[in-house]
Amino acid sequence: MAYLELQNINKRFKDEIVFDDVSLKINKGEFFVVFGPSGSGKTVLLRLLSGIMAQDSGQILMDGQSIDSLDPNERDISMAFQNFALYPHMDAFENISSPLIAQKKNESEIKQRVHEVAELLKIDHVLSHKPKELSNGQKQRTSLARSLVVRPSVVLLDDPLRNVDAKIRYEMRLELPKVLKKFNTTVLYVTQDYKEAMALGERVGVLANTKFTDVAHPTQVYKKPSNVTSAKLFGDPTINILIAQNSSAGTSSKITASRIEINVNYPELSGHNNCYLGIRPEDIFVSNQGQEGSIKVELRAKTPLNLRTVYLLRLEEGVEILASVSEEESMLLDDNKDFYIKVDEKNVNYFDSEQRLIV
Amino acid sequence: MAKLTINNLNKIFDVKLGDNVHAVKDFNLVLEHGEILALLGSSGCGKTTTLRMVAGFETPTSGEIKCNDTDLIALPPAKRNVAMAFEGYALYPPLTVKDNISFGLMREKLSNAEIEKKVAEISDLLEINDILHRYPSTVSGGQAQRVSLARALVRTSDILLLDEPMSQLEPQLRAVLRARVKDYIQHNKKTTVFVTHDQIEAIALADKIAVMEGGELQQLASPFDIRTKPQNVFVASFIGEPPMNMLNAEYSFEDSKIHFHIKNEKNDPAFKISYDKNNIDQSKIANLSNNQKLVVGIRPQKINFNTSSSNHDAKIQLTSNHWLGDQIHLGFELNGVNIIGVADRNFEVQEGLNVNFTSGSINLFDLNSEKVIFNGF
Repeated sequence: MAYLELQNINKRFKDEIVFDDVSLKINKGEFFVVFGPSGSGKTVLLRLLSGIMAQDSGQILMDGQSIDSLDPNERDISMAFQNFALYPHMDAFENISSPLIAQKKNESEIKQRVHEVAELLKIDHVLSHKPKELSNGQKQRTSLARSLVVRPSVVLLDDPLRNVDAKIRYEMRLELPKVLKKFNTTVLYVTQDYKEAMALGERVGVLANTKFTDVAHPTQVYKKPSNVTSAKLFGDPTINILIAQNSSAGTSSKITASRIEINVNYPELSGHNNCYLGIRPEDIFVSNQGQEGSIKVELRAKTPLNLRTVYLLRLEEGVEILASVSEEESMLLDDNKDFYIKVDEKNVNYFDSEQRLIV
Repeated sequence: MAKLTINNLNKIFDVKLGDNVHAVKDFNLVLEHGEILALLGSSGCGKTTTLRMVAGFETPTSGEIKCNDTDLIALPPAKRNVAMAFEGYALYPPLTVKDNISFGLMREKLSNAEIEKKVAEISDLLEINDILHRYPSTVSGGQAQRVSLARALVRTSDILLLDEPMSQLEPQLRAVLRARVKDYIQHNKKTTVFVTHDQIEAIALADKIAVMEGGELQQLASPFDIRTKPQNVFVASFIGEPPMNMLNAEYSFEDSKIHFHIKNEKNDPAFKISYDKNNIDQSKIANLSNNQKLVVGIRPQKINFNTSSSNHDAKIQLTSNHWLGDQIHLGFELNGVNIIGVADRNFEVQEGLNVNFTSGSINLFDLNSEKVIFNGF
């Protein structure tokens, strides 16, 4: 059952539409990730939920009750910020306990609750430290502890791992879901890093162009994005989008995009004479030998990543494609020889002329 | 032809009387004609100060900077024949995007036709041909950075200097623009130095990477060697994503076996990685002494996951399993030690997983000096 619910939310700033009739249901205890590029309205969404900004129309429900008339401090929702927002003159203990003091809890309860949350987040040994004595990772944990110490029903996390280094980011990706499960909290986590969205989200909502374009399990969004915009937000390098022509005969379709030719049996494709192909770089096989169905291409540049190597290949004048291969495979490729590619047809996405997914 | 040589370069800033900051310490470099160098490090490591000394915006405290046989330090910035893209873009607000790009070319006294051709080529490459008539104040941050990059790339110069050239690019464009810019620089044989804090960008673009920290050059090597042969703990932890697993350990040699006793956070024994002495090249252990305290570094992609019940180092229980499209990140815990591994995207995660730390896959560092003892043990 939906625990946190947005119903037909509209919000605009002067001429700019931020949300156009947005609805969303989040389940109790769910770890939900809101993912979108900068400027897509992620921060506005958090402000509406926390109550520091109001929507133009539509309502926000918690456990079936509208919370629109509640002030921010009356909502059972707390928030942790990207830039930590710790009080510099207070030590970690005082920072974490500050919301409990505002709630006028007694001293022994405050002590017990702070220690409980600090232990879970592994900062119990630095509670007497001031923020400037804490590492970035510890600051992030302190900020998180402060938002969890009030045991909120819903916690909003605004890109909390953006300003920490890679080691801490990976540690937290492992730990965060476990810690939050212990609090039985419903989590709404905002990020602009697709890897983080896929790693953390039980479901991901893709926010782009005033709407949630996809709301689904991360694998589903990656493999079957509902449109080209969503598709392009995932992957490094991102998906190749090629303009294609389709000539169907009965149920079989012949799709041509530049020099790529694909024959498939998708009845859904019939009638879509002009379409787009979405091909992920890892679904292109690269080889020095030509084989049946492969196409000769020109190698423009090779840029190694950490785990894979990216090849910029030219299909024809003005049409380039990016392919990514594993480190082992790239060592077998000789840059001075001819290059051939072959597309893994079963993973290709087909979009219509309006860039919506067909199949 | 432009070969850049830097000898014993130092920069000391006088912050207050008697309170100095040694921003760049004894920096040495030889960059051959057409090579691309990345100055890589986190903020405050001295990378930008080094770049600014080459450009002529900072005067070195001591040392030498030469282009071929010309002493650059004696020349003012305008006479050095370098083209630079600045981190803050530094576009001319009253000029259109197109005029910003062609401004430097007019000073080179190229014909109008040549200028048109060059501007068209570079704006195709960087996908800014639809904003050529706009003014800098009306374009986005990512677009402004592409304009600034275009302006530096089109110039005819001995040396190309780029300060964080791709930090603000739209994520969807980053991979393709990196590849095109690399192709352009290689094709035009431009000797290039660029500053970045992003190790992925450094590895993707550079022929050589200079990793800096605290004003000191930590390692200067090819991207491949930086990844596979890190010379100290800093370089090993800075390069790679997910980062290298860095485990505290102690070495022992007993019963013709080589053991690395891995410790957990509380410094208690957690597990050990062992090799048969007969299977290990003796030169590998020549520099190790019994009970020596080490840091064992293991790249996530070097951890071998398998389901076979024999021939493995440890049985594991996964603590996380993140499918990311082109790779899978697998987290597990061995007696209090958290480790992250990477599997191929087609790997099927099952119950009863085992891991191998195969010979050749680990890097050994001395715990005290933090210097490398052996890469690829």
